[in-house]
Amino acid sequence: MTWLVAGRELLTRGRTRVFAISTVVLVLAVALGVALPAILSRNAKPERVGIVGGSTATLTGIATEAGRLAGVQVIVVPEPDVATAEARLRSGDLSVVLVNGREVVVKQVPIGGASSAGGTLPGALAQLAGLAKLFAEVPGAAAAAANGIALPVRGLEPPSGSLANRLTGLFTVVLVWVLISVYGSQIAMGIGEEKSSRVVEVLLSSVRPVQLLIGKVLGIGLLALAQTAAMVAAFIVAGFAAGSSLVHGAAIGIVVTGGVFIVLGYAFYCTAYAAAGSLVSRQSDVNSVIFPVQIPLILAYALSYTVIYSNGANTFYHVLGFLPPTAPVAMPVLYAAGDAPVWQVVVSAVLCAVGTIWMARVATGIYTRSILRTGARIPLRQALRREPAEAR
Amino acid sequence: MELELDGLHRRYGTVTALDGLTFGVPAGQVFGFLGPNGAGKTTTMRAIFGVASLDAGEIRWRGKPVDERARRTFGYMPEERGLYPSMRLLEQVEYFARLHDMPASAARAAARHWIGRLGLAGREDARIDTLSHGNQQRAQLAVALVHDPELLVLDEPFSGLDPGGVDDMSGILAERAAAGVTVLFSSHQLDLVEDICEAVAIIHHGRLVASGPVADLERGERPRLAVRVAGDADGAWAREAGADLGEIEAVRPDGTVLISLTKGADSQRILDLARAAGLVEHFTFEARRLSEVFRQVTGASVGQAEAEHAAKTALSTAGATR
Repeated sequence: MTWLVAGRELLTRGRTRVFAISTVVLVLAVALGVALPAILSRNAKPERVGIVGGSTATLTGIATEAGRLAGVQVIVVPEPDVATAEARLRSGDLSVVLVNGREVVVKQVPIGGASSAGGTLPGALAQLAGLAKLFAEVPGAAAAAANGIALPVRGLEPPSGSLANRLTGLFTVVLVWVLISVYGSQIAMGIGEEKSSRVVEVLLSSVRPVQLLIGKVLGIGLLALAQTAAMVAAFIVAGFAAGSSLVHGAAIGIVVTGGVFIVLGYAFYCTAYAAAGSLVSRQSDVNSVIFPVQIPLILAYALSYTVIYSNGANTFYHVLGFLPPTAPVAMPVLYAAGDAPVWQVVVSAVLCAVGTIWMARVATGIYTRSILRTGARIPLRQALRREPAEAR
Repeated sequence: MELELDGLHRRYGTVTALDGLTFGVPAGQVFGFLGPNGAGKTTTMRAIFGVASLDAGEIRWRGKPVDERARRTFGYMPEERGLYPSMRLLEQVEYFARLHDMPASAARAAARHWIGRLGLAGREDARIDTLSHGNQQRAQLAVALVHDPELLVLDEPFSGLDPGGVDDMSGILAERAAAGVTVLFSSHQLDLVEDICEAVAIIHHGRLVASGPVADLERGERPRLAVRVAGDADGAWAREAGADLGEIEAVRPDGTVLISLTKGADSQRILDLARAAGLVEHFTFEARRLSEVFRQVTGASVGQAEAEHAAKTALSTAGATR
């Protein structure tokens, strides 16, 4: 019975144009997201730096070192005078001009001022050339500076997680978020459809509410799984093809953790969405009832970016990693960023599984009590009561 | 009795929907379940399928309490019709056949058969929401019939049908009954369906008020005689004749006197009395309509009962929102 229900969901949804198009779009988006940065960085052009006056050798040294600090390749182009250099700067022929001992000229000072641009090529040029001018009185100081002035940085501990790992973690989070919110709302809409079209009364004359509920989340879940598999395949294929560091550097543990929490996340939320969908009688009301269900996900998703781009998650986010509603998003991120050891991942997964069982029981209760009641939206408090006053 | 409903009770807040309802439905007959709107018909039918719960009472099928397995041999057309709007006709009918334990190939064949039988051939691949209202009704009926149910329960199957549709529907019900199926359908239009069913149960306020073969109910315990004497528009002759001829039920505007024959009253003596008064234009035994039977046993017409129910519902809704 349950499988018949699941089969209907698979068949009627799987062959819709919406499903085909969304799969293609998602797969393309993933492939592009992985491959584009790799392709672009490989084809990055060197920056052309114009130099005016002074010793060509010294200025070339300063420009090259500045390029190294800023992480770009530079080509040094000596210019006869400032006017010519400025003209070529305007035409886009040069990206920056260093006038010996006086100034660094760019086409447009970046937002936030030149001083904040320390990591960029003009910023590095300005600082190095300034140092060189400062040391100009000391013979050989400028040349020494040009040969490298930055001291090496030594960390007491190894980095907590490589950027590739973190980005893989981020990919997982986006996947969990997209899958749960897209397929969760499909569950809620589907139940809203059954209720508003009143087909549910015919269904329940031969199927138990629990069978109907489980069949639905199972069928939609299998579709979600198929789409996930397609996206992961695109991620891997595109990553290898483009030589992206995302695939080469990512640890297998992160992928496994991501997979486990995608399944757990779907399992936890699918029944909650179903319960929400059963509270309304019109499909147009579905969006307003599923919003509260989504809040924990939105919270964890928004905060995950702060963890990806920093060292050491804060305590609050660490707590989110253990709460079943937020764990499916938070724990893969914590693990990928190296902020949570394996035992914490396991504890979180077990907690999430227990939470899923609890949620399934509460949600089936709400669903069973609400699915046949039409009319106004049912208040949650009433749906939770064992013996609600029925209409009619 | 194939289907037995025994002492059904159900209260919704202050409203009593079912108040000890008891009756049985035999196989091989078209059985009408009649009463005004709000009498408890839908609650009863929902209870047969377990989609409404009972406070007390039992529903038995072939002597055993109705369970999930028995229900899969039942066919149901609920009062509020409903199918998946975006699903194709054939797939939908087939799906419901499979939900009633039919194997895949048999389900498809049965779905095709009923779609053709109900005049929907050629629309197999049409989405339900592209079908006309009448065709959606037919699709709903196909869903109820596709698995060859042993008990067919139809809630207000005649509502919203044109006269042709009423004929088709009653033809199918009669055919199913002839095939040995137990057929139970509800209606609040008592007079519309009296020719369609062989036996009825009439309920009011969740209680059985009359039941039995339609012919018996129409004749009643006291047969009714309709007599008209030419030129006597008020039925004065009958009033003069007094009590020994029976009980005068009513006088129609054209002067026809309706006489309820009390025990011992003699129709031939009445004829003599009428002839003595003048030229007898009309003299016949007349069947009562089911709506009259209802009025006789409840003291209110179906329309009055429905108006009373509507007023009560409005009151309790207003009370709930306050």
